[in-house]
Amino acid sequence: MSAGQLRLCHRDDIPEGTARGFLPLPGAPRNVIVVNRGGRLHGYMDACPHYRGGTPMAWRRDAYLNGEGTHIACHAHGALFEIETGACVSGPCLGRNLTRVPLTEAEDGSISVPAQVAGRAAREG
Amino acid sequence: MRIIGPDYLVFGVDDLEGSKTYLTDFGLKPVQLDETGWLFETLDGTGVIIRPKSDPKLPAPLETKNMLRQQVYGVEDMAALDAIEAEMSKDRRVTRLADGAIEFKDDLGFELRFQVTIRRPLSMPAEKINAPGAPAQRAPNELGVTDDMPALPRSLSHVVLFVPDMDKMVSFFCDRLGFVITDVLTGAGPFLRPAANDDHHTLFFIRTPAYMMGCEHLAFHMGGPTELMVAGDRFVRKGYQSFWGPGRHKFGSNWFWYFNSPLGVHFEYDADMDKHDDTWVAREAPNGPEASQMFLLQWREKWAPGGGPEGGSGKP
Repeated sequence: MSAGQLRLCHRDDIPEGTARGFLPLPGAPRNVIVVNRGGRLHGYMDACPHYRGGTPMAWRRDAYLNGEGTHIACHAHGALFEIETGACVSGPCLGRNLTRVPLTEAEDGSISVPAQVAGRAAREG
Repeated sequence: MRIIGPDYLVFGVDDLEGSKTYLTDFGLKPVQLDETGWLFETLDGTGVIIRPKSDPKLPAPLETKNMLRQQVYGVEDMAALDAIEAEMSKDRRVTRLADGAIEFKDDLGFELRFQVTIRRPLSMPAEKINAPGAPAQRAPNELGVTDDMPALPRSLSHVVLFVPDMDKMVSFFCDRLGFVITDVLTGAGPFLRPAANDDHHTLFFIRTPAYMMGCEHLAFHMGGPTELMVAGDRFVRKGYQSFWGPGRHKFGSNWFWYFNSPLGVHFEYDADMDKHDDTWVAREAPNGPEASQMFLLQWREKWAPGGGPEGGSGKP
């Protein structure tokens, strides 16, 4: 893992069609969500843009997708977001976007994010 | 109009198994109604009915993706149902069902059902506290908390709706169904109580754009603040996501703790809400953090200070 990166997980921790949340640093107030769609991993802050500062979206640990698994869902007010783009397509924050987090995959399959994501998590908390 | 309050809220869900687990862990008792429907009930029999969203037994969905399908209100007796039917029949279609209940839509298109209430009378003590200067509420040797103490929702308390047209909703519920405004959060909306209930509110509206119309949250009365904290703490430990709380609201004075849910609405534990009668004069305050709560706390892992400089049984 290169300097300035924080390791979240291994690629195999996120099977196809699932999502999980990881704290970029212990004690950080916001998770980074990692979603696997079609073998491609997408990263977003766990912060629904409905309210300023963002609010956590799962209804239970790692429960970030809607029932059909087609969208990232905020289980506060039912907003749905496209997995590939983070765009809200239904619900209170229609037209807004989740904050994308760039993911880096190492040769051994480790998934990491830029260290400043933890700071971002702190601000958004 | 002798309306008591919500008996049931009905949802069409996209994750039936997840919803069943959630509602059970929240503290509601599952009762299978038929092949596709489950009631999750509180101690007095009020609660939540869920079905898969494609179930033809459900009333039509809202135009938004909100999963609320129907609000079922309990009234005192058949005479109350007759009065509501007479009033509503003036300008809309009212369906009288075989069991005597009536169904119709409100002025924004929310599906409503009114029935003679199914709620069972509860006879349980409220949380008991001791304080200097007042008679002890707990007898000698009677403990305030135990590890296995029950903390179950006693009754469905209130419903909060996102509404695109506040004036229509207020005039419909107040002028046509006899609800009373107890307080107003300017910029959000009014708290309402029906004529046959002295709770501060069973209904609250939040003004929103039309694409948000639906249910924002529903709340359940607990036996007191300790039960609320115990239930919420157990719920967090099972992996559920706190949204707001624990804390205590100003209007209504009720303790609160809100959680995200697979039903796309918040579920709230509440406790110790104010009671009002018709002599009460509604207050008004601008909506915001100050008016919304007396105080706000946040859950954390259990911790205890230890003996030495390295003390503590968890992180500080």
